[in-house]
Amino acid sequence: MKTILYFVLLFGFSSCLKLDSNLYNNDNTIKEYLLDNYTGEQDFILDDSYTIPSTLIHRFSLASQTTEETSPFNIQAIYIGDLNRINTDTVILYCHGNKWHMDFYWQRAKLLAHTGSKNRFGVLMFDYRGFGLSEGEPTEEGMYADTKACLEWLKSKGLSDERLVMYGFSLGSAPACELTASPGVLKPERIILEAPFGSAEVMVQDASQLNMPAAYFTDLKIDNAEEIKKVNQPFLWIHGLNDLFLNYKTHGEVVYKNYKGVFARKHMVDGADHGEVPEKMGFETYRKNMELFITGN
Amino acid sequence: MKRGIQLLLTAVLFGLFSCAPSRFVKPLEKNQKAISFSFGGPGIMYSGAPIPIPFSTLAYAQGINSSITAFGALHFTSSLFGNLQADLGASCQLFELESGLGMSAAPALQLAYSVGTAKTLRAWPSGDINVYYHLFKKPSYLYGGLNAWFEFSKYKAHNELQTRHVIPNLQLGYVFVKPKWQHQFEFKFIGMGIPNTPGVVDYVGLNGKGSIGFYYNLIRTF
Repeated sequence: MKTILYFVLLFGFSSCLKLDSNLYNNDNTIKEYLLDNYTGEQDFILDDSYTIPSTLIHRFSLASQTTEETSPFNIQAIYIGDLNRINTDTVILYCHGNKWHMDFYWQRAKLLAHTGSKNRFGVLMFDYRGFGLSEGEPTEEGMYADTKACLEWLKSKGLSDERLVMYGFSLGSAPACELTASPGVLKPERIILEAPFGSAEVMVQDASQLNMPAAYFTDLKIDNAEEIKKVNQPFLWIHGLNDLFLNYKTHGEVVYKNYKGVFARKHMVDGADHGEVPEKMGFETYRKNMELFITGN
Repeated sequence: MKRGIQLLLTAVLFGLFSCAPSRFVKPLEKNQKAISFSFGGPGIMYSGAPIPIPFSTLAYAQGINSSITAFGALHFTSSLFGNLQADLGASCQLFELESGLGMSAAPALQLAYSVGTAKTLRAWPSGDINVYYHLFKKPSYLYGGLNAWFEFSKYKAHNELQTRHVIPNLQLGYVFVKPKWQHQFEFKFIGMGIPNTPGVVDYVGLNGKGSIGFYYNLIRTF
């Protein structure tokens, strides 16, 4: 009986598992970024007309550090566009989702680089720490720090607030929303959220069907549904109506509903699952919709 | 593999409300005591094969009289997530005919307390109602019935309306009763009628609804 009691107490008071790390489906085993030569699974592959001239693809690393860290991590980023024109171009900062690394999202970045016309807007994409070749392990605070590092880099290249568009897809909606709601070095002019999280709470309650606190399973503070209330900038929400990962109703709609800013637009895409919005919407329509929103039409 | 482990862990979320088989369908004798260890949970596809999520509980029970058995159980899997989860309840025999057909009900309270920074306590009432029959050799018995968890909150996160207040489960099981040991096997249709998508876990359900769970419960009486 004593032994049983010992095990009960041992299990009962151990507090070792949280689902936080399961949110990051990162792959840091790659040796290099392959971009167009990447043959792994992707949501879609664009045809040759979307090819970006190599002179407009710039890969570099950035130092990123949270306030609690004593030394920085090197994170990897790719800028699509002319580095010398960042001081005059409009730039989309693309915060990708929770999967693997930038190779998986390269097609999406290319598509955005064709918004309006070929390379009309600059696109900056990066791997959060622990993703791809970026150093470290993924954390929520780290993800925000990595996004801030990109904003600092853009500012150092001459980007100003009114030419910055924040784009967050899935997990990337968290840093996109956070740094638009509480801007630091740069205040984004507009925000686009594709298939966003509502909050960690929604994730837990969707899964359990019960009004269960997120803290039972996770220490994540992701709360786009609350953060969006602080966003005044124009907001575009796009979501697949067949999103089997983040329900458009419980996640996206609550974010959209809570937005109280100057302008909101939404595109609900019939039949689109989580990663299928651009393809099911049609690449041309997607680009047109992005252009209209970014140019304020 | 990493993805598989992620799915398994994430599946724990969905299955929390269904982490044990029906307890003491046929109540113990007066003053009889029992300890039981149960294992099993909702079915998911894992590495291409259906498996039950490995929930485990340890329960203690005592016969208050010949028709009421009080029980309490601790849930080990929840404790791995830093939560103390327990259920407290009583199994009450409603009747048993001479033919061996009987009925019991087991109201219970499910408690979960996060021992982390949140320190949040939540409670959900639940209940079982089962019909049992000494199908083969008495005292072993077959049983079937309904289990439900109840959510009384009016609102959920972000002041959205909590629209689902009952989570129903259908169960069918058999208990092999030996002089000191009992082996209980139970199939449960968890969340019947509730779509199992959208979600990140591939549940083994019926027509896209719920999840089929399997449980084993080892009971030692003394």
